[in-house]
Amino acid sequence: MKSKTFDRRTVLRACAAGLAFAGLPRLASSQALSGTVRIWTFLGADGQSPREVVLREIIERFTRNHPDVDVVVEAQPFQELEVKFVAASAQNRAPDVIWMRDTFLGLVQQRGALANLDDLLSAEFKTNVLPDLYPVFAEKSVFDGKRSSLPLWPSPAQAIFYRKDALAELGLEAPPLTWDEFIPVAGRLTKGDRLGFGLPTNDNSVSAFINILSGFGPSIFDATTGQFDVAGAEAKEVGNVVRQLVANGALSSTLLNAMGDDIQDQFASGRFAIVQAFAPRFQQYKQIAAAYDGNDLAVSAWPGFGDRPPAVLLGPYWTVGVSAKSANPALATAFVESLYSREASMSWAKTAGLVPDRMSALKDPYFGTPEAADIHNFTELLSAPGVMTFPQRMPDITKVFPVMNTALQELIGTDESVDAILDRAKSTLGW
Amino acid sequence: MQHPPLASQHSLDVLARRARLVGSSLVGPALLLVVAINILPAIYGFYLSLHEVFFFGNEGFAGLKNYTELLRDSFAWQAIGRSLLFTFASLAIAVPLALLAAMGVRRLGRWGSVLLTVLLVPWAMSPIVVALLWKWILVPSPGGLVGAIFTAFGMPPQDLLTDPVLAMPTLIIVAVWRNFAFATIILIGGLGQIPRDLYKAASVDGLDAWESFCKITLPLLAPSLLIVISMLTISYFNEVQLIIGLTGGGPIRQTSTLAYSLYHTGFVELNQGKGNAIAVIMFLINMGLIAVYIRILGKQAGAAA
Repeated sequence: MKSKTFDRRTVLRACAAGLAFAGLPRLASSQALSGTVRIWTFLGADGQSPREVVLREIIERFTRNHPDVDVVVEAQPFQELEVKFVAASAQNRAPDVIWMRDTFLGLVQQRGALANLDDLLSAEFKTNVLPDLYPVFAEKSVFDGKRSSLPLWPSPAQAIFYRKDALAELGLEAPPLTWDEFIPVAGRLTKGDRLGFGLPTNDNSVSAFINILSGFGPSIFDATTGQFDVAGAEAKEVGNVVRQLVANGALSSTLLNAMGDDIQDQFASGRFAIVQAFAPRFQQYKQIAAAYDGNDLAVSAWPGFGDRPPAVLLGPYWTVGVSAKSANPALATAFVESLYSREASMSWAKTAGLVPDRMSALKDPYFGTPEAADIHNFTELLSAPGVMTFPQRMPDITKVFPVMNTALQELIGTDESVDAILDRAKSTLGW
Repeated sequence: MQHPPLASQHSLDVLARRARLVGSSLVGPALLLVVAINILPAIYGFYLSLHEVFFFGNEGFAGLKNYTELLRDSFAWQAIGRSLLFTFASLAIAVPLALLAAMGVRRLGRWGSVLLTVLLVPWAMSPIVVALLWKWILVPSPGGLVGAIFTAFGMPPQDLLTDPVLAMPTLIIVAVWRNFAFATIILIGGLGQIPRDLYKAASVDGLDAWESFCKITLPLLAPSLLIVISMLTISYFNEVQLIIGLTGGGPIRQTSTLAYSLYHTGFVELNQGKGNAIAVIMFLINMGLIAVYIRILGKQAGAAA
């Protein structure tokens, strides 16, 4: 065997090469983490809502850790985010990071506007953070094996908010969780100027009709087409529920085209005992409560039909992606990763009352305190047996909510037969 | 008859050509701007109306499919009907109100100017701000101004924006409130052009105030009135921001006008091909209305002259 001796010069060269090799990732990383990250979200950089405060904290933390980075938040109306992003992407002026609703994710992904995060996320994130996110949300962002985005703020989206003081008048602690029992209770809660139940029926991205339908469980969505049977027996049952709620005075037949914000404001002023509400706004609802004590606000799942479990439809919820045309995708991805740090999860929870994105964060002693009781209620909903999401690619997603809301308005405000209303909705959708 | 020498004629032609050149070069940039921001987008809009365009993706030539679908759609015809109802009902309130306000402002002198300034505030505000303001005024629960007025009279709060019967009249009132002051300004100008001597002569002839109004004011104010009617017609027919902010086209499509359908189809359903087809139809209806007004205005202006 031939022995080999190393002279001093060779050893020094090898050491220098080794050091240089070891320093490469660090060097590459520091080179990538400079520049500007443009973010499109519905949250304002200077806003005072709890979620805006937390986003500001996260940005400050990120720029403190990366002094050569500038984070620019360009707030957009929430319902325009996906459309503007796709248009901007086509014109090569898309932001680096984009907030989207999960219901639009399939369309945005189809347009090729999103980067494949599998290529961008750090190994540490893939190993430690991805498995720590709620799988039901995280897996919906994977299209054909490629991760297009990361879900933010796991929550049941459209939940039932109720006033404990109003329910206490009937000797109840919470609304019943089957429609058979819920309907008479909602009727009895109507008293004076207060209505038992308030539904937003004019939003373009949610529909109470589908939330009520979700009481039949995940089978309402066809696994192949992503559609639901608009004029089927289950939809007709939803129509009958709505009609009964109107008949017993729980729903007003003249409150037909209120939007989510209208319901929120009117709930604060005491017009409703129970409402459909966007779950991440729970803290905001508490803060603006005027006609009742904010501590009397509580959250519930939607009632189920028959002996089915209470329904929790997870969506539309927010999800964050990186533009396929980002000039600095590594920096953009690093910022996205910072939204899911342990500190960020705790901030979303403590300041904004949101369920932490990372399941392991729930082990923090904070979640054992009474202050975190509301978060616990939301966490329980997330692990309830009736949990479901919208299909990954729901057809006619831009039409289905307005069409079903118009049908809902007709169910509430007219005497036309349920069959005729649903047949018309089906025909409008062309399903 | 003596003809000018040819050389002089040539010089005049050169001068005229230069003058035209200078004129064209002065108008040119503005013309280019009009072409760039009005004509080219309009042509492109028409081009898109002949295509299947969804979520900013052109999915191919569709011919007249978007138009035929619209013409077969009963909701589209209902939307046209609602647009005309909204337009002419608003006009029927706004024009007399503007005329009354104009006469009142002229009579009040300096205080009239103050009143006019106050009346102009809503017109100067963004329509979407006006919508949000009225939404709060009309909110049918404690805290809403109108709700409090109903309560003061022992009546329950009324869902003025969400009741299928009340939503359209409420929308019309808000639309009139927003821009009748604009019409008032034009009518004040028109009233100022009527010679006062005519009223003195009418008084000497024994005409009372109503007869003076009918026989002097209205005929001489006709050109101003027709300008007001033309501009308000276009404004009301194309109104969309107030509808988005106040009713979102509901309840049960009761405030879904053609302009709102354009917004909803193009920007909510993201069917930009069909949205552009609605825009072309709106353009044609606008042109038709303008043609009618120009015809009437031309006759009236000729009569006045």
